[in-house]
Amino acid sequence: MSKKEVNIHVGDGAAIPSKKDRGLFSAWWISFIGAVAIIIYLCMTEPDPYLDILKFLPDGILVTFQVTIYSILLSLVIGLVTGLGRLSRNRFFNLIASTYVEIIRGIPLLVQLFYIYYALGKFELFSNLPPLAAAVIAMAICYGAYMGEVFRAGIDSIDHGQTEAARTLGFNRSQTMFLVVLPQAWRTILPPVGNEFIALLKDSSLVSILAVADILRRGREFASESFYYFEAFTMVALVYLVITLILSKGVSRMEHKLNYYERH
Amino acid sequence: MMKKALFTLAAVLFLSNVAVAKTIVFASDATWPPMEMVDANKNIVGFCPDLVKAIAKAAGFTAVIKNTAWDGIFAGLAAGKYDAIASSVSITDKRKRVMDFSDPYFEVKQGVVTRKGAGIKSIDDLKGKKIGAQIGTTGYFASKKIKGAKPESYDEVGLAIENLNNGRIDAVICDDAVAVGYALQNKNYVDSLSLAFLIVPDEPEYLGIAVNKGNTEVLELINKGLKAVRASGEYDAIFKKWFPTEE
Repeated sequence: MSKKEVNIHVGDGAAIPSKKDRGLFSAWWISFIGAVAIIIYLCMTEPDPYLDILKFLPDGILVTFQVTIYSILLSLVIGLVTGLGRLSRNRFFNLIASTYVEIIRGIPLLVQLFYIYYALGKFELFSNLPPLAAAVIAMAICYGAYMGEVFRAGIDSIDHGQTEAARTLGFNRSQTMFLVVLPQAWRTILPPVGNEFIALLKDSSLVSILAVADILRRGREFASESFYYFEAFTMVALVYLVITLILSKGVSRMEHKLNYYERH
Repeated sequence: MMKKALFTLAAVLFLSNVAVAKTIVFASDATWPPMEMVDANKNIVGFCPDLVKAIAKAAGFTAVIKNTAWDGIFAGLAAGKYDAIASSVSITDKRKRVMDFSDPYFEVKQGVVTRKGAGIKSIDDLKGKKIGAQIGTTGYFASKKIKGAKPESYDEVGLAIENLNNGRIDAVICDDAVAVGYALQNKNYVDSLSLAFLIVPDEPEYLGIAVNKGNTEVLELINKGLKAVRASGEYDAIFKKWFPTEE
């Protein structure tokens, strides 16, 4: 074996690309332009199945967006309450929040969707629940538990000195939380929340089990009638990819804006 | 050495399989009572499985029935996951373009199930109503053809029926035998649901066993068996067993 000279260069963290390195050839641009180019290419060369499938999907895309946006807003509220509950000194509140997280995290989302829509539909109170509302409620309840953990961790990460300082200055508990701790914690919370956002959008494909006509169900309907299974699901995958890529760009933009400590 | 042995073994297995060729795997979506369903002992039972077993016996092959979700059942056939589909598949022109069918073994009509007293008696009454059906079935295609109705596709017909029972949709369209099973025989629904009417088709709709295009070997075996089963009267016996009220 020949001797190899190993050159270890200690620089200022070149292994992790800095934000300035983001150019046209970032992973995001490669994926995004690639996906869009494939869609356009397929639609132009073989409009018979591909363009027809694309034309079949728009109302499904709308439904997917609706489910995602309503669920994310609701789950943010549930997550904040749960996160605060998990940190609360009030034993009762704390126990309720923790039990909720334990139970919901232990049941698959698909089962929760089935339960809330089909099982609870047996009761008069829930029998008029439209499928979209049931889907949003189930997804918000499920993701609220995960968001709760994100909020808890984010709030926990803020040095206790901040709380002490605020309390010394005469802030009461809720003022301390909402004016001092949360604004700082938000920075830590946002990246995982963005992650959950994208995960939720993809998981929204599960709501097609409730006969909600989202992207996946539209694709399946097209495939079941035309037998273009490969083509339909290729298109469905590409559409999901484009949407999540746009979302992830939005989230990273927001992260960048909130990252005021690193802004010069 | 090991590799060679494995190759030989694989070759022998492959050859013997071809030489015997006596096992035909049928896919069946066992959520379509009483045509095909899963009983309390997790066995696939119903009219179609019985018929398949009788055909296999008459034509001299072993039938294996594999429970497969309806959504994607045709894709699985194309992908070679099984040799045939015996799952109340209606013979349609669109389907004939991508697969071959055996001789018809059953005539179906599309039945409309509604809640009792819903006042739905004809296609015109379905205007503006929510209609549930199983995805990719002739029932769903029929619901899409009804002008002004809102079709909803479900993964299983049972989910659509449950939703109809809970009052979230107004009607369910499925094969008449299945509609009768749910609306008139199932004790969970017999008090609340009824079979409103049958959709009169432009031309009769028949069920057939589907195989991949060009798979004449399997098709001939099945047709041969089906003919023998019909001739021996066994077909009528199976029919009587599953549809006792109809003559």
